Amino acid sequence: MKQLIVQGLQQAYQNLVHMISVFLPRLVAMLLIMLVGLFVALLLKYLLRLILRFTQLNRLSEQSGASQVLRNAALPTISELLTRSLFWVTWLAFTLVGISILGIPELHEQLSRLFQLLPEVFVAILILFVGVLAANFLSRAALLAAVNAGVRSPRVWSGSTRFVILILAISMALEQIGLANQTVTAAFSIVFGALMLAVAIAFGLGGRDLARQTLERYLGDNKRRDREKEKEEEPSPL
Amino acid sequence: MAEETLLSDDFLRQLMGVGEVDLLVGVPSHNDAQTIGATVAVIEESFRQSFTRDRVAIVNVDGGSRDGTSEAVLKSVVETHPSLRGLTSLRTIHRVSTRYQGGPSPGIAVKSILAAADLVRAKACAVISPHSANVDTNWIKNLLQPSYRDEFDFVAPLYSRHKFEGLLARNLLYPMTRATFGRGIRELHSTEFGFSGKLATQCLGQDVWREEPVRKSPEIWMVISAMTSGLKCCQSFLGPKVQTAAASGTDIVAAVRETVGALFWCLESQQEFWTGVNAPEAIPTFGSDHELTTGASRINRKRIFELFQKGVKDLEPILKTILSDETHTEIERIALLDEKNCRLGNELWVKVVFEFAAAYHHNVMNRDHLLQALVPLYRGRIYSFIAEHQTSTPDEVEADTEKLCLEFIRQKPYLLEKWNAK
Repeated sequence: MKQLIVQGLQQAYQNLVHMISVFLPRLVAMLLIMLVGLFVALLLKYLLRLILRFTQLNRLSEQSGASQVLRNAALPTISELLTRSLFWVTWLAFTLVGISILGIPELHEQLSRLFQLLPEVFVAILILFVGVLAANFLSRAALLAAVNAGVRSPRVWSGSTRFVILILAISMALEQIGLANQTVTAAFSIVFGALMLAVAIAFGLGGRDLARQTLERYLGDNKRRDREKEKEEEPSPL
Repeated sequence: MAEETLLSDDFLRQLMGVGEVDLLVGVPSHNDAQTIGATVAVIEESFRQSFTRDRVAIVNVDGGSRDGTSEAVLKSVVETHPSLRGLTSLRTIHRVSTRYQGGPSPGIAVKSILAAADLVRAKACAVISPHSANVDTNWIKNLLQPSYRDEFDFVAPLYSRHKFEGLLARNLLYPMTRATFGRGIRELHSTEFGFSGKLATQCLGQDVWREEPVRKSPEIWMVISAMTSGLKCCQSFLGPKVQTAAASGTDIVAAVRETVGALFWCLESQQEFWTGVNAPEAIPTFGSDHELTTGASRINRKRIFELFQKGVKDLEPILKTILSDETHTEIERIALLDEKNCRLGNELWVKVVFEFAAAYHHNVMNRDHLLQALVPLYRGRIYSFIAEHQTSTPDEVEADTEKLCLEFIRQKPYLLEKWNAK
């Protein structure tokens, strides 16, 4: 009996030693890979920062209004955001490779799935970012055009432009990562359709006179009269 | 140099047939069949009266007309005034017409005229618009003579105007050019101007023709280019200007985008020059320096005031990023006043313009958006100007313009400070 217990303990000890002897080199290898990954990520971050310093990216970002959006969201500049993203993606990739060396099949499978999803997430973020830029730029253009033309409620036009573009960008981004494809498409169709219907009803019923005047202005031969009216209202600048 | 430019084979052939000339008048056009014949006739009449012995040519550059403009140029008949019977040119007056691709563009039209002038080695040239309804023979003479006889390189026109016309030129373009580049050209943006063959060759060689401000307002860049190269500039009085129906009612937004955009762009591209200019110099002028009329005008002041007020309110987030806190607060304060008390005075207006110029330089936002954001403030300024000068005499208006010019000059260090700020 006593001998059996000793044998069991010896077996368990041997197994533990064996497991540690197998696992420890793998752990060391993983840590080494992560360390190398850290150096590579830092190097890439430094190189990208140098490259971006020579490009006009921050200037373009300021011009398009993206920097303003980032500031409002308490985020760093666009070039800083890109360099940091590159650092984390690189280091994460090395870390995943390191973890796969540990030889734990379940963990490896889950991480592989996450790894496969990363490019999709990256593209989705990019779509969202471009969408925010476009929404910002076009809503500002709409605001300026409406204000200078003396249109009533210019902020409503500007806000509507931003809203529609952002909805479009969000639906595209969600579709990219395969999240509730049909729901998102349906939601977008409903929101966009409802908006257009509301505009059509408002313009058709509420603004019949305005619609008639607008159509007359564009289709009729009233351009000269309009020009005369403008001339009457504002002095010639040149 | 001209051969390397956009001259088509047919245009080159026509110009080679002309040979060398002394004087060249360019007429840019687009669907101007109704008026261009009369314009060409006046140019020929002027050649006959004032340049009898000189070799001359008229060059029409068309932006793709579909109404037979080119044919109207080549076939228009000149009727000699009875009092001038017997007076004929001793040389052939050549008429050349060409068409460029890509739709109407002032930049391409002027570049084609410069290339033609360079090829035929014209000594003096002028550009005349068929949109000016009252072109007369003196206009051509007054634009060509200073270059041809007195060796000036750029001849800017001066017109007789109503006191409330050309307010963008009076309140911004003229005083700002005078303060920054040291020479005040009253009609910085004009569809008529004269220039020497030397300036034509120099401008043709510059790699700027793809730039938006040069394509839209080439004459602004040309005159500033002449100033910064040390070439001689002058102004020549032409008399009253009447626009044809097609060209009247200039859009304020388009005017600000094109002309102020071109001036700001020139400030940036020529900053080594203007940052070193200390004292402005007077520009030689042929004829009257200015002439204002004071007849009745149909201006809706209330609407201009409302557009200013609404613009300041609705564009608040945009104006905040362009203007300093102090200037923006002051603008907002003024916009809240009633019609009687609302005045955008000289000092604040100059600050606004200089801060916009610096913001343009520092790219704080898309440049076209920035220029559009200036429009409501320009409306505030012209509202104040019109309200102040409702009963003013031409001399009083002129004295006020001079005060504004001096304010621009006084605040130039402020522009430099904002311009150089990081």
